[in-house]
Amino acid sequence: MAGKVAAREGITLKGSASIVSEFFNYGINSILYQRGIYPPESFTRVQKYGLTMLVTTDPILNNYLKNVVGQLKDWLCNHFVQRLVVVINSIETNEVLERWQFDIECDKTMTDNSQPREKSEKAIQDEIRSVIRQITATVTFLPLLDTALYTDKDLEVPEKWEESGPQFINNSEEVRLRSFTTTIHKVNSMVAYKKIDSF
Amino acid sequence: MCSRITVRVRPRLFQRLEASRDPGERREIQAESGRLSRRTAGDRMDDLGENTTVFSTLRSFNNFLSEGSDTIPRTSEPDSVSRMLQLQYEQRIQAEEQADYVRSHSRILEVEWEKQKMEVSHKRARIELEKAAQNSSWNYEREADRNQELITQVKQLREKEADVETKLKDQIDVNKSLKEDLGLQSKKLQEKEEKLAEANQMIDVLKAKISEQQQQQMGQEMQLTTLRTERQELHEQVEVQHKKWQEAVQKIQTLEAAQVVNAENEQKLKELENKMTQQEQDSVIVKNMRSDLGRIPELEKELRQLKEKNAYCREVEDNNSLLKEELESLRKKLERLEKLKEEKVALELENEKLLAKLQSWENVEQTSGLNIRSPEDLSREIVLLQQRELLLKQQNSSVTTSARMLEKTRQQLQDDALNLRTQLLSEQKKREQQEANARRMEKRNILLIKARDGMKSILDSYDNELASNYSPQLNRRVREAEDMVHALHTHISELEHQLSQALEDVGNHKLKAQTLEAELSVLQKQVAVADQGITIEEGNELRQKIEELEAERSHLDKANKVLEMKLERYTLQGDYDPTKTKVLHLSMNPCSLAKEHHITEQKSLKEECVHLRERVRILEEGIVPEQLGSRTNLPPSQEIAEMRKQVNSAELKNQRLKEVFQKKIQEFRAVCYTLTGYKIDVTTENQYKLSSMYAEHQDDCLMFKVRA
Repeated sequence: MAGKVAAREGITLKGSASIVSEFFNYGINSILYQRGIYPPESFTRVQKYGLTMLVTTDPILNNYLKNVVGQLKDWLCNHFVQRLVVVINSIETNEVLERWQFDIECDKTMTDNSQPREKSEKAIQDEIRSVIRQITATVTFLPLLDTALYTDKDLEVPEKWEESGPQFINNSEEVRLRSFTTTIHKVNSMVAYKKIDSF
Repeated sequence: MCSRITVRVRPRLFQRLEASRDPGERREIQAESGRLSRRTAGDRMDDLGENTTVFSTLRSFNNFLSEGSDTIPRTSEPDSVSRMLQLQYEQRIQAEEQADYVRSHSRILEVEWEKQKMEVSHKRARIELEKAAQNSSWNYEREADRNQELITQVKQLREKEADVETKLKDQIDVNKSLKEDLGLQSKKLQEKEEKLAEANQMIDVLKAKISEQQQQQMGQEMQLTTLRTERQELHEQVEVQHKKWQEAVQKIQTLEAAQVVNAENEQKLKELENKMTQQEQDSVIVKNMRSDLGRIPELEKELRQLKEKNAYCREVEDNNSLLKEELESLRKKLERLEKLKEEKVALELENEKLLAKLQSWENVEQTSGLNIRSPEDLSREIVLLQQRELLLKQQNSSVTTSARMLEKTRQQLQDDALNLRTQLLSEQKKREQQEANARRMEKRNILLIKARDGMKSILDSYDNELASNYSPQLNRRVREAEDMVHALHTHISELEHQLSQALEDVGNHKLKAQTLEAELSVLQKQVAVADQGITIEEGNELRQKIEELEAERSHLDKANKVLEMKLERYTLQGDYDPTKTKVLHLSMNPCSLAKEHHITEQKSLKEECVHLRERVRILEEGIVPEQLGSRTNLPPSQEIAEMRKQVNSAELKNQRLKEVFQKKIQEFRAVCYTLTGYKIDVTTENQYKLSSMYAEHQDDCLMFKVRA
């Protein structure tokens, strides 16, 4: 491992894109686990970022995530993606219950041929770890989701793919979470959830 | 020992002494006594005291004897024979007295010697006693120690004894308790044995009971078998009854079907009656209609007339509307023209005013004296003036800046001047101090010179007066004094140098101060000139402008913050720029899949629901499924077969029970009739007929009624 770290001294555009897309993969998996959208027994443990992450074993969901993340990586290299949104909505009422939004700020001056940027892998991993921990910690204050739920992922991209609506929540509370940066891409995280009606 | 006088004189010697008056014999006796005394001295070492007394008594005795001997020869006269005899008699008496005295003395000495011996022996005895006492005391101590040891041993032994006693007591107590426990346990054992005996008795009793019960059980089993056979008979009866019931049910169904048909027929009848009534009503209506029909041609004529009128009216309306529009347009024109008129009037007034102004402007040329004939010239002049104004403003601003700069320099210069003044004062003080030092130095110098002169004169005087022995010292002193003088000279020269420097510095500072004062005066004059340019009013205006700008700036800052907050909120809520970004999602996402799944599930559930409802309805109707297998389209299931079997079995049971019941009742009634001779029949509810075998007539009976 030490040899690997020494070799990757600089972060290239492709490297940064792969780091960010990997983060999204694991982040979305942990959101799905924490919010109880899929049954916990369908998740398996892997080691990543120095934490024990839970990833799904459901083949359909895995395939879907692979598609999304692969496409994301492509778009990140081309500076096309501005924002990734994970939307949790209820099947019966078809309304949006929760919205996890990841804003991506891209350094446009960076291309495939530019010099790699100096940032240690460890620092990036530490930042990602703190974001993942915060996502886990949000479980304490987010309202319970006890109806049948399913996820949807929206990407705000200045190009055509398959269009949909912005999926806002009407009466929402927003919480801004930590961000991390690879000096080429900066990812800001936030979660918006429907306000609970108090009696 | 020396104090005690013990005399030991041999009485024989003494008698011999008495007997012998011969001096020679006396001398012999004396020698013997001397020898004795020597012997006594040789024999007893301890009796030195005795020897001295012996010697003293011997001396006295010898003296006496010598006196006696001396006295004896002197008295040789006859006359004196009596005197001699008397003297001799007296001498003899004296000698006897002395002998008695000596004897007593010797006796005393003996006694004393014996006393000494006794005392010695006493001492020895005492010493021995003391030794014995010591020994006895040691022994006593030893005995005492032994005693104490023994006492301690005794105590320990007593303690042990006490412990042992206590232990004994405890053991005794324990023994007692154990004995009690034993007693209790023996009692318990006895009780248990009694209980066991009782239990054994109970067991015997129970065994007897068991055997009885087994016998009962056998009897009951026999009864069971009989009852089972009866039950089977009753089942068969139940089956028969069930068949009858089914036939009845079928009849009921046919009846119901017939009733249904009846009801339908009645409904049809009703409908037909309704139709009849409607038709009657229709016929009435038709009659009315016919009458109306007669009126139709007249109505047609009227219709045509009305249509013509209508068309005419519409044309009139159109004309009206056209005319109204024309009216409105004309009114608008009127209004416009009136406005135009007013405007024209206003314009004319303006025109006149402008003409007047123009004339005045044209007159300006005459009044101002400039080369202005047209407005262009005016504008040109104005432009020139504005340019000049701009220049002046620039100059003004530059002048203000220079004024500020000058003010700053003035302030700085003032500060410098203050500093310089303070420095000057300090320098003056220093100079004064140094002058004072210099004066002191001069005084010291004078004093030293005086001292030196004095010393020199002293030295000269010394040189003139004294020898060469003191010269080295004096020379040394002189050298020292000279060194001191040199040192003082140098010190003085240094001080003078410092003084001169201080004076020079003071002079320089004075020059600087004078130059600065001169410059200050020059600058003050300049500032006074420049200050006239800037007025207070412009300053106030500038301040007001600054305040306004600052207020605007704060306002704009707040607005900026508010907008930033809003932006933040919108981005959090997920706002985006629709012109630059588009929202996309994968069509094959879990949400849509789940929705489809949901929908399909719902559909299937609904179908199942409908299906199940039909089935339930069919089952509730209660028709045997085998007969209506085509309607249900369901395969016969195991549960249904089981249910049917159960139903059948229950029906059979019912039938059999009924048959058995009937038989028994009939038997019972027959037996009652034969045994008692009376027969009771139930005629109607609560009425019973009692008839006897032995009645005269067959129909004789008694009627009874049961009170409800």
